[in-house]
Amino acid sequence: MDELEAIKVTFFQECEELLADLEGGLLAMQEGSGDLETVNAVFRAVHSIKGGAGAFGLEPLVRFAHVFETLLDAVRSGAVPSTIELAAVLLRASDILADHVSAARGLGDVDMAASAAMATELEHWTDPNASPAPAPVAEATAAETPVEAAPAAAAPADDDAMEEDDLGFVFVPQTITVEAQAADAELAPDNVWTVSIRPKSDLYRKANETALLLRELSRLGPIKATLDDRHLPELDELDPEAAYVTWNVRVETDEDETAIREVFEFVDGDCDLDIIRGEASVEQLAALVGATEPSAAEVQAPSTPELLVAEEPAPAPIEVQPAAEAAPPPPAPVVQAPKAAAPVAPAAPAAAPAKAAQVEVPGPGQSVIRVDPERIDRLIDLVGELVINQAMLAQRVGEYGIAPSSNLAMGLDELEQLTREIQDSVMAIRAQPVKSVFQRMPRLVREVANMTGKQARLVMDGENTEVDKTVIERLAEPITHMLRNAIDHGLESPDERKAAGKNPEGMVRLAALHRSGRIVIEVSDDGKGINRERVFSIAVKKGLIAPDLQLTDEEIDNLIFLPGFSTADKISDVSGRGVGMDVVKRSVQALGGRISITSRPGQGSTFTLSLPLTLAVLDGMVVDVAGETLVVPLAAIVESLRPKPEEIRPLGPVGSVLAVRDSFVPLIDVGLALGYRDQSPPPTDGVVLLVEGEDGSRAALVADAIHGQRQVVIKSLEQNYQQVEGVAAATILGDGRVALILDVDATIGMRRREGSTPRPPEPTLIAAE
Amino acid sequence: MAAIALPENLDLKAAVPLKTALLERRGAPIEIEADRVRRFGGLCLQVLLAARKAWDHDGQPFSIKGPSEAFVETTRLFGAEKALLSAEFQGAES
Repeated sequence: MDELEAIKVTFFQECEELLADLEGGLLAMQEGSGDLETVNAVFRAVHSIKGGAGAFGLEPLVRFAHVFETLLDAVRSGAVPSTIELAAVLLRASDILADHVSAARGLGDVDMAASAAMATELEHWTDPNASPAPAPVAEATAAETPVEAAPAAAAPADDDAMEEDDLGFVFVPQTITVEAQAADAELAPDNVWTVSIRPKSDLYRKANETALLLRELSRLGPIKATLDDRHLPELDELDPEAAYVTWNVRVETDEDETAIREVFEFVDGDCDLDIIRGEASVEQLAALVGATEPSAAEVQAPSTPELLVAEEPAPAPIEVQPAAEAAPPPPAPVVQAPKAAAPVAPAAPAAAPAKAAQVEVPGPGQSVIRVDPERIDRLIDLVGELVINQAMLAQRVGEYGIAPSSNLAMGLDELEQLTREIQDSVMAIRAQPVKSVFQRMPRLVREVANMTGKQARLVMDGENTEVDKTVIERLAEPITHMLRNAIDHGLESPDERKAAGKNPEGMVRLAALHRSGRIVIEVSDDGKGINRERVFSIAVKKGLIAPDLQLTDEEIDNLIFLPGFSTADKISDVSGRGVGMDVVKRSVQALGGRISITSRPGQGSTFTLSLPLTLAVLDGMVVDVAGETLVVPLAAIVESLRPKPEEIRPLGPVGSVLAVRDSFVPLIDVGLALGYRDQSPPPTDGVVLLVEGEDGSRAALVADAIHGQRQVVIKSLEQNYQQVEGVAAATILGDGRVALILDVDATIGMRRREGSTPRPPEPTLIAAE
Repeated sequence: MAAIALPENLDLKAAVPLKTALLERRGAPIEIEADRVRRFGGLCLQVLLAARKAWDHDGQPFSIKGPSEAFVETTRLFGAEKALLSAEFQGAES
């Protein structure tokens, strides 16, 4: 059973991807940018989920997917026009489908009432005239066993009935298939296959075509199709849109069975298929027909050895299939209903292995390998050690005074290059686009908007921004919280928005980008912005700040990150519950990240979250400060210079600024900021690193000396000790000493708070004073 | 003798009208012009096969005239050449 479980895991992984594709496609349809290919892709996603779920007997999921798929098929064929309203319904349906997948996986429950209501809604969209359509679905849902369900659902949903029978089979037939074929292989010519193709009416209904399948098959090698029209009714009784004719095709090919199955990939479930090695004569096939007329009871017991026969390309199922296929059109529905249960059943073993094989064999996508993340983590750690070791080696060699042009020094340079390449490549293995987190957000936005009665549109940007897997996993929570907050507190109600002359539908933007060697996540809304007076008064009322405190706009905005602060008048279901932005801030800080907010009244707010790209490596400038060695992230450094006395101007009681070309930037003595010394030496004695923070503000950091650039391996302070303000992390230098890595933004922020005399909000304007 | 001309596209949508057209001409010899056919699908194949049987049953001549290359090729692919094509178009496949 472990093997089955493993395949199931793969199936659910695929489901995640398919659900993401589905949602992406539906969103495109909602925006009106979806073309026929989008609709096709959406259909295929649902269809594939249904197919896989069928193979594992996940009944509720299959049933819901089927109703969903039927509507999508109608959209695809143009029978149901693709509109924005429809896309909204389909999006909600995709949410429920996702719930079904989660439930099948054992993660959470499905609201069956909501699911049934949605199924009814979908059916109504598919066919508005068949209004009381929910009956068969409800019955089917309630039915204990597939076979029981089949007659109940017979007339309007014959297809359901068939698939329910599929579900009676779980996985066992697959094993039998493989063994049977292995045995066959010894006797039969190597490159001849017999493929039995028995299309169902749905195959044609979904605009698929047997001619194309045969043509595809003929690409593998010479084919000879033998047509079986025994079940073709009289012309006047024939339903022109039902499938009657079946084929046995002799294929001569050097390709394997997988290649043959791939031809039928897109009709999976709509076409019964048997593939056997070697030639099966019509007589052989006919003989098998007599041997198999399994009763429903036999079919239900998956481990019965008799199933072996059903596996053969026996026309047995064909015998009765046309009857079932003909069920939807008017002719003779009375006869079909009771028959449908038993005759259709033999199709199951054929369908089951086909699906299982698909899940197991990734086919053309075989270039993708799944690796245990722990192995990669170990590799990354080792490469980190390698980098440190290489640095130590280089330093030792340097200490011996070896000429840079010597072979040894050049060899070391090459080693450094290689080490760096290895490190980049290894990091790239673990890097993933933030898409995996972002794709969960459209649903969240829909749900929150529904709950709060607001209209919100989510715009996402930079989904492909890559970040280390370890960081990705921890992004979801803060993003979720920030988005909820943006809709619940940021956006106005549609009426308020109209009154303010805005589009009643608010916009929430979620963006990811790389900046200064970190990943920055921005969540912005075009809502009312922060009501600073209110925030201030609430903070005073709650005793968080003194009433006479003078604060800049920026500082007021940041009050919302204070523990215990909540601006909502009443605690809402969405972002209330006493869990505020302070929780977000703490979880972000625990990751070595920062969060900030900017807001403009009437125009909206932007939350900016910045996190390290990786917890592994950094390019840094090694400097000396008060006898300590520090590393300043290279990405933050704009330039380094030696200040002249006339460029330094005092500002306020303790601070001073440095004139850099046309502007003044605050001078920050790193030694003082980190508490290494009490008194700053004259800045002219040291070196100035002009740095730029994430918000674009600049500062001049004063250090005693610069040692040079080096790539360092980050060792987390949070994990090994605790967060220290002004310090981002630590590293081990080539000589084995530990050096701290400076947190440039925090250092600038510390300085700002220190000199807390009233000053304008924009740090760049400091020079104007 | 009745005659009908097949459309270019014998796909899903063509099956119902094809059946209707054929039923209307039942009882008399029929000549089906297949020179314009570019796509030939499984559903129309079934209709033509059933028609062939019906005309045979009635003892009336049934012929498909001037089949296009696509029609011939697809009919062979279906393995239906014996039922639908005249002798001159049947032999190509081994």
